[in-house]
Amino acid sequence: MNNPAFSLPEGPNDTWGVESLFGEELAAADLTQANVGPILRHLLGNEDHALFSDRIVAQVRAQIEDLAHQLALSLEQAMGHKDARKQADETAPQLAAALIASPPMLAHAHALALEAQLAERLGARLSLDAVLSPLLQALIASPDPNTAATAMALLAAQARFVQAQRRGELPLAELPGDLLHAALLTLREHGAGDDPARERIAAVLEAAIRSNFDEAVNRLGLLHRLIAGMGGGAIAALDVGHAGVALFVTALGLGAGLDRDAAMFATSEAQLPRLALALLASGAKPAAVEQQFFALHPEVTLPEGFETLSADRAAALLAGSGGYAGN
Amino acid sequence: MAPGAVIVARGRCDGSDVLAVADEALAALQRACGGAVPGQLAIPALLELTRKAWHYRMKLARVFQAQDGENAVSAWVEITPDDDGLALALSNWRVTPLTPTVTAEFAASDADEGAMLAQVAELHARLDARQAVLAAGRSSTLLEPLAVAMRDGFGHPWTDFVTLPGISHRQPMHWRLIDGVEVTVEGLSARWQARLVPVPGDGAAGGFDLYLVPVAIDTVPLGDADGSLGAAVPEGLDGVLGRDLAPALRQPINRIIANAETIRTRMAGPLADEYADYAADIAEAARHLLGLVEDLADLDAIEAPGFAPIADAIDVADAARRAAGILGVRASERGIAVEVPGEGETMPVVGEWRRVLQVLLNLLGNALRYAPEGSTVRVTVAAHGNRAAVTVADEGAGLSPQQQAKVFDKFERLGRSGDGGSGLGLYISRRLARAMGGDLTVDGAPGEGARFTLELPGG
Repeated sequence: MNNPAFSLPEGPNDTWGVESLFGEELAAADLTQANVGPILRHLLGNEDHALFSDRIVAQVRAQIEDLAHQLALSLEQAMGHKDARKQADETAPQLAAALIASPPMLAHAHALALEAQLAERLGARLSLDAVLSPLLQALIASPDPNTAATAMALLAAQARFVQAQRRGELPLAELPGDLLHAALLTLREHGAGDDPARERIAAVLEAAIRSNFDEAVNRLGLLHRLIAGMGGGAIAALDVGHAGVALFVTALGLGAGLDRDAAMFATSEAQLPRLALALLASGAKPAAVEQQFFALHPEVTLPEGFETLSADRAAALLAGSGGYAGN
Repeated sequence: MAPGAVIVARGRCDGSDVLAVADEALAALQRACGGAVPGQLAIPALLELTRKAWHYRMKLARVFQAQDGENAVSAWVEITPDDDGLALALSNWRVTPLTPTVTAEFAASDADEGAMLAQVAELHARLDARQAVLAAGRSSTLLEPLAVAMRDGFGHPWTDFVTLPGISHRQPMHWRLIDGVEVTVEGLSARWQARLVPVPGDGAAGGFDLYLVPVAIDTVPLGDADGSLGAAVPEGLDGVLGRDLAPALRQPINRIIANAETIRTRMAGPLADEYADYAADIAEAARHLLGLVEDLADLDAIEAPGFAPIADAIDVADAARRAAGILGVRASERGIAVEVPGEGETMPVVGEWRRVLQVLLNLLGNALRYAPEGSTVRVTVAAHGNRAAVTVADEGAGLSPQQQAKVFDKFERLGRSGDGGSGLGLYISRRLARAMGGDLTVDGAPGEGARFTLELPGG
C-alpha cells in the first residue's frame, strides 16, 4: 500500500480515524482500478477463446456459487431454520465472493469447466462418449475384479460429473481434500458471523463434513486410483481418443508430475508447448504425441525436431516453468 | 475404503509424524529413506500427506512417489485420521528400477569418476558397506584435522565427523541418496560436496571411497592436495596395461560391443524396446571402456622411456582433411559443419603421420562433442617461419584461463562426466606433439569458442 495516508505515524491524532477509513477504502478502490486494465485486455486480446469464453466464465461462476450455496444451506439447516433455503440464499453470495478470491479454487472450477467442454467437443468430433470411453469399457470388462469394481464406480461418478457440469454444479464431496479444507476455512471465517451459537454449530457441521469426506471414492480419487493401478499400462491412457478426457488428463498429470488441473490447462490452445512436453515427459513416443495433437488441436503442426527431446529433458523443462497461478 | 483395493501394507502414524507400526513393505521403504520403525516418518511424499490429513482431519487418498535408492516406488495410499493418529493403507505398490540409462551411466563412469575425484578431492577415506570409516587417506592441510579425527574414530559412520545441513535422518542412508550432498566441517567456513563411489568390482557391498570435493572446484588450485594423487594407475603397474593387458582386453570388449549391437539392432529376432535399450547401454559402456583401454595403452607407450615418433615428411593439410572425413558422420549427426583446408592446399611438416592424425582426431572429436549443434568447426593451417600450425576452432562455450591452464592435465575432465571421455586425450595429444618437436596449445576467451593449435616443425 503506497497510499501516503497509510504512512502517517500512529499516535494521538484527531483526524487519524477518518483518514484511515478513507485510506482503506481508497486502497481497495485502487486495487480494483489497477486490475480493470489487465482483465479487460486479457478478455479482449486472448487468442484462446475457449479458455475464457462467456460460457466457461459463466460455468466457473455457477460452480463456485453452487459450492457456496451448499455450505450456506447446510449451515442454515443445521441451525434449524424453517426457511433454511431462503436464509441460505442470503448468506451464500458473501461466501461465494470469498471462494472466488481463492486462486486454487478458481483454477479447479476452471479446469473442470474446460474438461467438460473438451469432452463435449470430442464427443461431437470423434464420437467419443463423455462418460464411457473405450478404455473405461475395457477396464470394466477387466478379469481383475478389483479393477472392474473401481472402473464401475468411476462410470457412475463420471455420469454424475457430466450431469453436474451441465447444471453448473460442483458437489463438495467431489473436491480434492485440499480445496475442501480451504472451503471449510472460508465457511469458518465468513459463514458464522459474530454469533457464538452460530459459530458452535458451524464448528460441529465442519467436523461432520470433514469426517464424512473420503477422497478415495470421489471421481478424482477413482480416476487416480485406476491410472495408478494400470502401472506401466497407463501409457494406454495417454491416447485421448481411447481413454476419454477424464482418464487422459489424469494420466498426463501423473505421468508428467503435474497437478491434474495444470494438466487440464495444458490441453488448451494457448498451452501447446506444455502439452507436448507433458506428453513426452509421461513417456509417450513422438508419433503418439503427434496423434494426440491431431485429436486435440487438428489445426496445429508440431515444430520440427521436437521428437529429439528426451522424456527427462521434457520433465526438467516442465518443472522449470511457472505453471498456472492457481497451483 | 475405495472399491477394489488390495492392501499391500498398513501402517499407523501418530499426530507428531512418528510412524509407530508398519508392515514390511512400508517399513522397508522407511528404512531405505533413513528412518526407523517406530520413528519419524522419513518418506518425504508420505510425510507431506500424513501432515495434511492430520491437519485437515480428513481422509485423503493419493498416489505418492518415493525412491529407495535403487528403485522408484509409487503406490496408492489412503490415510484415515482418527482421534489419536492416522491409519495408512497402501495398495497398487509399484517398484520400477531407476531409469536404466542412468544406471548404465553410473556403472560405466564409476571407476572413471573415482579417478577424477581422486584428483580433485581434498580428503579421501575408505568406508565399509555400512558407511563406517575404515581408513582416512590423504587430505589437504585444511582438512588434516578431520582426517585425524576420522582415523581416531574408526568404525563410526562418516557422517558423525561432518555436518550435513538440512539432513536430519540417521545413518545409514542409501548411498545414492547421500551421494553428492553438501557437507560442512566444524570450525571451517567452506563447504564440500561428499561423493561416494562404490569400490570398483564389488559394488556397494564392498564398501565405498568417500571423497570430499570443494564445492567451487574451479576456484581451487589443483595442487592443494598431495602430489602423488595424480597417479591413478598405481606405480607398480606402469607399462603393464599397454604392453600386456591392452591387446588381451581389446578382443573381449570388441566381442561385447558386437554382441550388444546385434541385440540392439534385433538382428537375431524381435525384442521388446526396453531390452534393445539395455543392449544399447551395454554397447555404449563397452565402447567407453575400449576407449579408456586405448587411451591408457597410449599413455603407457608415450610415457615409456625412449619413446620417439618417426620423423617423416608429411602434409598436415591432408591429415586435417582425412580427420574431418573420418569424423564426418559424427559431425553430420550433430549438425556441425566442419571447414577444412581446400583440396589443393598443402602444408609440409616433419612428424609421424599416424600420430599427427591421432592428435587431429582428438581435437576435432572434442570440438564435435562440446560445440553446440548447428555451429561450425574450422580447421585451418598456417606457416610461422620454419614451423607450421594447424588450428581447430569451434564456436562452443570456450575455456576460461583457469580451464586452459588445466585442460592438458592427466585425467582432467573440467567437471564433465558421463559423456564417454577419459580425460586422457589432450594430455596424450600434447605429449605426442612435444615428442615430435612441436607443441599443442589452447587459446580463445570464454564465449568465443576454444582454439587448439598443433604446432610442428616445418618440412
